[in-house]
Amino acid sequence: MFEKVLIANRGEIALRINRACKEMGIATVAIHSTADSDAMHVRLADESVCIGPPQAAQSYLNIPAIVSACEITGADAIHPGYGFLSENAHFIEILDEHQIKFIGPKAEHIRLMGDKIAAKKAVKSLGIPTVPGSDGAVETDEEATRLAKEMGYPVLVKASAGGGGRGMKLARAQDELSIALATARSEALAAFGDDAVYLEKYLEQPRHVEIQIIADGFGKVLHLGERDCSLQRRHQKVWEEAPSPALNVAAREKIGKTVTDALAKLGYLGVGTVEFLYEDGEFYFIEMNTRLQVEHPVTELITGLDLVREQIRIAAGSPLDFEQDDVTIAGHAIECRINAENPFTFQPSPGLITDFHAPGGLGVRMDSAAYSGYRIPPYYDSLVGKLIVHGKSRNECLMRLRRALDELVVGGIETTIPLFQELISQPDIIDGDYNIHWLENYLAKRESDPR
Amino acid sequence: MSDDKGAKASKKRPNIDPDFVRELAGLLEETGLTEIEVEETGTRVRVARQGVPIAPPVSAPPPAQSEPTDLQAPASGTVVTSPMVGTVFLGPSPGAPPFVKQGDSINDGQTIVIVEAMKTMNQVPTTASGRVVEIFVRDGQPIEFGEPLMRID
Repeated sequence: MFEKVLIANRGEIALRINRACKEMGIATVAIHSTADSDAMHVRLADESVCIGPPQAAQSYLNIPAIVSACEITGADAIHPGYGFLSENAHFIEILDEHQIKFIGPKAEHIRLMGDKIAAKKAVKSLGIPTVPGSDGAVETDEEATRLAKEMGYPVLVKASAGGGGRGMKLARAQDELSIALATARSEALAAFGDDAVYLEKYLEQPRHVEIQIIADGFGKVLHLGERDCSLQRRHQKVWEEAPSPALNVAAREKIGKTVTDALAKLGYLGVGTVEFLYEDGEFYFIEMNTRLQVEHPVTELITGLDLVREQIRIAAGSPLDFEQDDVTIAGHAIECRINAENPFTFQPSPGLITDFHAPGGLGVRMDSAAYSGYRIPPYYDSLVGKLIVHGKSRNECLMRLRRALDELVVGGIETTIPLFQELISQPDIIDGDYNIHWLENYLAKRESDPR
Repeated sequence: MSDDKGAKASKKRPNIDPDFVRELAGLLEETGLTEIEVEETGTRVRVARQGVPIAPPVSAPPPAQSEPTDLQAPASGTVVTSPMVGTVFLGPSPGAPPFVKQGDSINDGQTIVIVEAMKTMNQVPTTASGRVVEIFVRDGQPIEFGEPLMRID
């Protein structure tokens, strides 16, 4: 087992990793920029190293500084959290050279799943259902036009180097295709340095359903159920829940088996999430995230597992000590991402949190690094914290969420708490009857017809 | 007052009321003043304490130039900080004399330490010219971004 883990991240996830390490008796090192010197995890970790100025490129993405921090503290492993360097294959290779263990998947799988065209080809050949589309990159407009006609409009032009909702352009009809192709290519080149694009059929009203998997170094791959993350704004998840209101036990078991069989063939290691669009009872692969995800707590609450702990154990060479039959889904969990933004315009609101009170009680979990007197820096994401609640049923969960939202206090800045307080009263949300367009439709309607 | 025109007429004697003087003396005691002077047409009376030095209040001595502590005003000069994370070395190689010693005069751009990171040696130049007043680091110690290296004045 590792003696000392360096946490290569910040904010709530750095605190999350610190907590798991501490519970395992592992010493921790917090690395931070000058803007994060007062961060909670920096105070709680056993050691801290300031690695650079506020800008992420010179701090949290600064590979030499992070490796150097490992060297001077003697850390034998790094946990990358999510975002930043968590899916940077080059980073893993450098750590390998320095005999520092990376707590995460293998570099080859991170690289594979980071290339969306290659990922789609790979999972398709492993038996995972994919969205109908071009078989690889489209080179010419003629090729695209022919394919789109075969698939049927509307079609999405997607950047191969994109992902996470970025680098997608919609063409509703043939006359929109050329423009969609051109803008997608130029934006992809600018944002990702690669203008390769592929086509996919556009699904009208799908849900976003993702499967959490976990794999040890001994060939065992298990799934831990699904999460429904359909409520999104500009492709950013806002509310996640498990299990999905749309799936039953049979559907879950079927897709779970498909995914675990595929990843076992791949020889995957660590945790990962296979993301699907789900429509009319059919699953369509969109991408795989080869890291721990923001919304992992909802899975933890329904399965009783500590995913960060399992990540660390797997990276240290331990086998998973449970089987698929031991994984039980109990009750229901919902997570709300609380951001430092205006709840309806989403204007960022960094600044001083004058009062912070996290709700508590049975089935309430607040994953946040905020505290009274903490100043949210403007250089990073706007996540204040995640409020996750668990209940024996979805209804109990909703009641508990309403209560917890009313108890949560984040004073001094604007947050999205009021948005969630509104959402939990909406009939569609209460019924679990929503898709990936629901939230944006709701916000648009609200703006044009404020009550 | 008696009008003693006869034998005293030749001496110019002021018209002093001893009770008035005693009153002034009493006031002096009561108020703690050092001196009281009263003037009426033609007559001025001044009463003063004996043996009290009349000097301006002694002010606190100006603060001496001392080593900076958290409670005092910041010392002068520039603190050069580390631009990277790693291990700091005061000389170019083990056993070699250090780049600079306390008291040395140095110029902007002159190498003052080496920070070793990932097996590469990075020369760190001073960001100020002047005299090396204080060296905050030990040879071979770990160093973080922004950590003070030396004070140059």
